[in-house]
Amino acid sequence: MAVARMTQNMMSDRALYGMQTALGRLAKVQEQLSTGRVINRPSDDPTGATSAMRIRSSLSDQLQYARNADNAVGWLDQIDGTLSSVSKQLVRAREIATQGANDGAMGQESRDALATEVDQIAQGLVNAGNASYLGRPVFGGITAGRTAYAPDGTWTGVPGVVKRTVSDGVQVRVDVPGPDAFGPAGDSVWTHLGALATALRGGDTDGVRAALDDLGVDGERVIGVRADIGARTVRVEQAQRIVADAELSLSASLSELENTDLPKATVELQLQEVAYKAALAATARVMQPSLLDFLR
Amino acid sequence: MSGSFSSLNTALSALRYQQVALDIASTNVANAKTEGYVRRRVIGETVAAGAVPALWSRSTELGSGVRASAVDRMVDSYLDARARTEHGKQANLDLQAAVLSRVETGLAEPGKNGVAAALTEFRRTLGDLVSSPESDAARSQVLSAANTVADAIRLQSRNLTVETSDQRSRLLATVAEVNTLATELASTNKSISAANLSAADSATLLDERDRLAMRLSELTGASATVRDDGGMDITLGDVPLVTGLSASTVQVTGGVAPDGSADGNPISFAIGGQPVTGPVDGELGAIRQIVDVTLPAYAAGLDAVAKSFADDLNNQHKLGYDKSGTIGGDLFSYDPADVAGSIRVVITDPTKVAASAVPGGGTDTGNADDLADAVTVEDDYQRLVNGFGTTVASVKRLAVNQQALTSQVDSSREQLSGVSLDEETVNMVTAQRAYEAAARVMTVVDSMLDTLINRTGVVR
Repeated sequence: MAVARMTQNMMSDRALYGMQTALGRLAKVQEQLSTGRVINRPSDDPTGATSAMRIRSSLSDQLQYARNADNAVGWLDQIDGTLSSVSKQLVRAREIATQGANDGAMGQESRDALATEVDQIAQGLVNAGNASYLGRPVFGGITAGRTAYAPDGTWTGVPGVVKRTVSDGVQVRVDVPGPDAFGPAGDSVWTHLGALATALRGGDTDGVRAALDDLGVDGERVIGVRADIGARTVRVEQAQRIVADAELSLSASLSELENTDLPKATVELQLQEVAYKAALAATARVMQPSLLDFLR
Repeated sequence: MSGSFSSLNTALSALRYQQVALDIASTNVANAKTEGYVRRRVIGETVAAGAVPALWSRSTELGSGVRASAVDRMVDSYLDARARTEHGKQANLDLQAAVLSRVETGLAEPGKNGVAAALTEFRRTLGDLVSSPESDAARSQVLSAANTVADAIRLQSRNLTVETSDQRSRLLATVAEVNTLATELASTNKSISAANLSAADSATLLDERDRLAMRLSELTGASATVRDDGGMDITLGDVPLVTGLSASTVQVTGGVAPDGSADGNPISFAIGGQPVTGPVDGELGAIRQIVDVTLPAYAAGLDAVAKSFADDLNNQHKLGYDKSGTIGGDLFSYDPADVAGSIRVVITDPTKVAASAVPGGGTDTGNADDLADAVTVEDDYQRLVNGFGTTVASVKRLAVNQQALTSQVDSSREQLSGVSLDEETVNMVTAQRAYEAAARVMTVVDSMLDTLINRTGVVR
């Protein structure tokens, strides 16, 4: 058969099929535009969907790292601030000790007054040792209690490490065990301050000098810890920058993978709309005429 | 020379023939949109004069008119067989695509409500617990995120179970329809054979026969062969289902119990007791593929993910200590026979979350860190979803490709068998004019006879 035989059914079937196809394509673009995503189910792009899931999981990790880093900075800042005031108080204690060591210059009453100030400093250092961040004592290790030091300067913390994961595989210790900053039991700042107060009250100049030396060592130790805290803060801040970069690039990849390219989709929508209208127009014109219109 | 009245007879035969042609055109127009209707065409035949020569006589007639020798159904049996095959494949792929798309939507991936998102959220809450182990709120968050993971896995598992059980019920309904169709086809075969014996018009019966065979192919992918008596035999997977006037029944012999529940075996069929070993296509084949292969494969993958998730976290959780310093217990419980469908969080008391790696009730969070690290199933789960997505995409693509082929074959059939209204109009006008012309011939002959009888020899 040279000329294909066409029937009205074939025409209407083809017209319906064509319109359904055009409308289907239009619906697909419309879905992409209205959801804002190209991948709405795994079969739209199986590999892309898997990548999107993986990226979303990594992104969540990075966001968690950022939260951890904020928390770590909070701990480290708290420790640094506290140790800065501890340093000042130790300097003051050494000034007092230096005054007290000049035995000829002052009487016992003045020394008693100095001893009282030393007691107050010791009390102030206990408060500093109980410094807390979000309710947890920063010098208490992993204690469940609210304080790290008893009023008499005894460490009540529990040895243990408080760490924050601040980026992939990077953990930073954010606490300082009390004894590391304030000296171990029996050789702590409170032992030395107690000895200083006792020596001042007893007029024991040698004792005062010995305490002066010990307090010097304490001061050095605090400075050492602060240097360490500074180094840790730098690490955390570095990690924060890395995390911020990773977050940005991951979000960009996710968006590139998953989100609709608006200009492209809009142009596509226009095209499909034109195609659909053309199908409708052609159908309307082709379905109308029949031989019956021309016979009388 | 022909006899005086034979011309009238010729004109009469023309009137009768054109009447039939008009009837056929009118039937075609009436059935233009009837499903399974094949257009008819009347075959005219010249009534030859003296076709059979006699020994001592010779016909002097030149022609004796026309008669309708047959009414043709415009079909091509090869094209029909091809159409049945393609429709069987199409029905198979369409059903698979529809069911798998539904399951896929139920996965809610990629998105904020799927299992992947729940796993991510669970790890996030463990991260928060590391930052504030003293807070019961952080512990409750961990528990609620763990519950979300378990719920998401159970929901997926339930979707799979419901879909599988729907498909098993569908299988039984489809088999019932197949058996009804087979019985109808056998009785149609009987009518066709009777009609042929009595030389009655069997075209309508043949339409019915083809319609039934097509539906059977869509449901089962069965192949059909035309019998000498006009009936049709149906063979499903090398086992005869309909032979002439007798129809067997398809039984489900494995996989689905009569009440629609699973019996643990793969789905198998038998026809009249003889097992069907050959391929089964169409909707039955699609259901068998879905229930036996596609969905169980995904369910097994999900079970493996759920089991490894629960085991990893339980093992890690038991290495830690809770807020009061007691050693941790199981975090998740499940039934080994149906892990994904039964996974649940055991712990309800937030203080029982074993965040600490050391005893004594401190605020150590070593175990919370390790718990977060123990969530290692994300990769497996992504692979699972990827595999399923690929299957669905492939079935959808195959269905679209098959649609092109099926449309092509349908179009060829329609080209041959479809009613063209323009053509019928032309046929109608032709028949009408021929009828008028034959009537005219009668008038002319009548007038000739009038001249002969009434005017000849009359002298005025």
